[in-house]
Amino acid sequence: MIRFLAAMADALTRLFADKGARMTMIVSILIYACLYPQPYAGEVVRDIPIAVIDQDGSTASRAFLRRLDSSDSVAIAAVVDAMPQAERMYFARDVFGIVLIPDNFERDLLAGDPAPIAAFGDGSYFVLYGGLTTAVNSVAQELGGQVRFARLTATGADQATAAALVSPISIASVPLFNPTGGYASYLVPAAFVLILQQTLLMGIGIMHAGRPTRPGVARLATPTAYVLLYLMWIGATQILLPRIYGLPTLGDPLTLFALSLPFLIAVTAMGFALIQVINTREGVVFFLVVQGMPLFFVSGVAWPLESIAEPMRTLMLLFPSTSAVLAFIQIDQMGADLHQILPALRLQGILAVIYGALAIVLHRWRHPRAG
Amino acid sequence: MSQSLPAGLRRVLRRELRQIRSRPKLMFMLLPFPVLLMGLLALIFAPGLPRNLPIAVLDLDNTTLSRQAIRMVDATPDLQVAMRVTDLAQGRDALVRGQVYGVVMIPEHMQRDLLSGRRPELVTLYNNQLLTIGGIVSRSTQAAFANFGAGAAAIALVSNGTVPEAARKAIRPIPVQQTPLFNPALDYVHFLLAALMPAVLQIFISASAALVLARDVQHVNGPGRLRTLGGGSAIRTLVGKLLPYACAYLVTMLVADAIMFGAYGSPFNGSLLLHLTYTVLFVLAGLSLGALFALIAKDTIGALGMTGVMTGPAFGFAGISFPRLTMNTFAWAWGGLIPLTPYLQLRTDQALRGTPVELSMPTLGWLALQALIYGALAVLLLRRSASPTSHEARP
Repeated sequence: MIRFLAAMADALTRLFADKGARMTMIVSILIYACLYPQPYAGEVVRDIPIAVIDQDGSTASRAFLRRLDSSDSVAIAAVVDAMPQAERMYFARDVFGIVLIPDNFERDLLAGDPAPIAAFGDGSYFVLYGGLTTAVNSVAQELGGQVRFARLTATGADQATAAALVSPISIASVPLFNPTGGYASYLVPAAFVLILQQTLLMGIGIMHAGRPTRPGVARLATPTAYVLLYLMWIGATQILLPRIYGLPTLGDPLTLFALSLPFLIAVTAMGFALIQVINTREGVVFFLVVQGMPLFFVSGVAWPLESIAEPMRTLMLLFPSTSAVLAFIQIDQMGADLHQILPALRLQGILAVIYGALAIVLHRWRHPRAG
Repeated sequence: MSQSLPAGLRRVLRRELRQIRSRPKLMFMLLPFPVLLMGLLALIFAPGLPRNLPIAVLDLDNTTLSRQAIRMVDATPDLQVAMRVTDLAQGRDALVRGQVYGVVMIPEHMQRDLLSGRRPELVTLYNNQLLTIGGIVSRSTQAAFANFGAGAAAIALVSNGTVPEAARKAIRPIPVQQTPLFNPALDYVHFLLAALMPAVLQIFISASAALVLARDVQHVNGPGRLRTLGGGSAIRTLVGKLLPYACAYLVTMLVADAIMFGAYGSPFNGSLLLHLTYTVLFVLAGLSLGALFALIAKDTIGALGMTGVMTGPAFGFAGISFPRLTMNTFAWAWGGLIPLTPYLQLRTDQALRGTPVELSMPTLGWLALQALIYGALAVLLLRRSASPTSHEARP
């Protein structure tokens, strides 16, 4: 036991002494922790600049635009006379949407005819498009409802009847988890599961690719030391980091570590299997550095797993992160207990066994005498 | 090989090609691997739009009208009723397990309340932790319920005699005609995949330059030897060294374009000449950036690490998913240093928007400036580290 602990300490000492491993398994994670959340620090999109064309120039059209301007997500940056001007501003990226109120808007509205308006959103940036259309629709509904209510009561309907007809039902959409719809809350915890997987794999490559296996007890002590180091990182990135950036967390730490352990064992075993296939340090690092992004997009966070065509979906599950990212989110952001993430937990265990066996078999095959 | 190339450049180029040939595993990772990965990404996003996202239904009313509301939700292309639950706890459990992305709840006495004009509330609980998916669930259920309210519910009110027929006129006084400019189908492939492939290729481009140059300069007199081979000119040395990769990645970029504009039928509305120009500049800027990291780090692992830190999170900084105009100053400036940012802006301008060429010129200048600065810095560093004084300075 003491020999095992000494061998673990030795493995960590070697890690700290190797510049490449130190940079990858310690320093780069700290850099990512500072750098990665920066683009999303604003959390939600506010005041998208738009251009408006008010062909009607009436009290009603001005009221519409005033309400639009005071909505959270949109700000009127320019009032122009005609479409070509607005388009030019759009192409120059001065505005990211155009709202047009046609002639006779007020007349139609008061006459009880449909008084349409046009919103041209930015189809090339989905967040901006969504922000504009939501704002325009809610103003149109609100103002339209008021006009209709006034007209119905004016024609003799009592208030309750008018209200029931303007909107027979009320519709509520309640966001569970990440209630403010923050972008950092959405991406940062998920990305760090992947960052930990990739740096751990790289670190194993840097420390062991193309190098002879250390004999005896170190064989098991070294991977154990890596798993322990990364359990510390799980705590830092999944518990501490969200608090630093003020992201909501619901997770129970014990549940979190119960998932982390098989996940990190699976990743570590995968790392030791990988270096039997790619046996140079820079080869392993290059192979891994290009994978981070694609792996993120198959983890079910940015793109629903149901929408990935079948042979690909199963194939991608061979990477521990594919099933782990969502499971970490379920625990930490959605408050799941172990029971609720059992399929992912089981899969991590299976991967750990497969990669562990693979690492041993490949090692024996490549070094027949050492076995 | 053309004899018109300067001798030093030719020597470095020939040596590089020899080295690529002698290391098949490295060659695989630098050349066929990116093409393979592009194909994989294309397959992942092949369905184009998320369809039939599973949701749960909690129908406490169980009447003709409640069933009609649920049918209308199920009929939307985005959603599919995957399970029926008997209480809210069960629905929440399915949501936490990831079996469904939302729970639609219809309250008790919905039909009765509706017919007596008491405006029952239809509720959707959606998983906002998965922002994109949650957004689709919320939008689609709201639209389906709004249709239900304006259609079936209004008809029921009239036929029940709650309100007079005449009052049904102009259900929606201000209809909004929404037009997404330049991506009419709002297709994720045109939007996400088109940005994702260059983002992944940028990592390949910079990492390749970082790797192959760092292998040469990580020895004490490596830079000097390399520059001597290039006939004493740092520029010729770097050009000869990186030319094979520039050609290979240019081809890979065009393969990715062929997938987008060919196989997936993405629109291209702009200038083809400009598209080729910024594609070339993007490859050059990425290679220069990688070369710069190699000369700063002077070892392969360090150079690859720097490349990873700069290009790995580049997608987030480029402003495709979360727009640049909402970023803080640091993120905005940092994103400005990454070649992917102006490249994707130019690509969006030309492919999707059909922006007039002159309005794209400032962005083109921005990308060209990056290529120029990173290239010049790399030349300068190679010149300095290959000069005799720097040898003495190092232990």
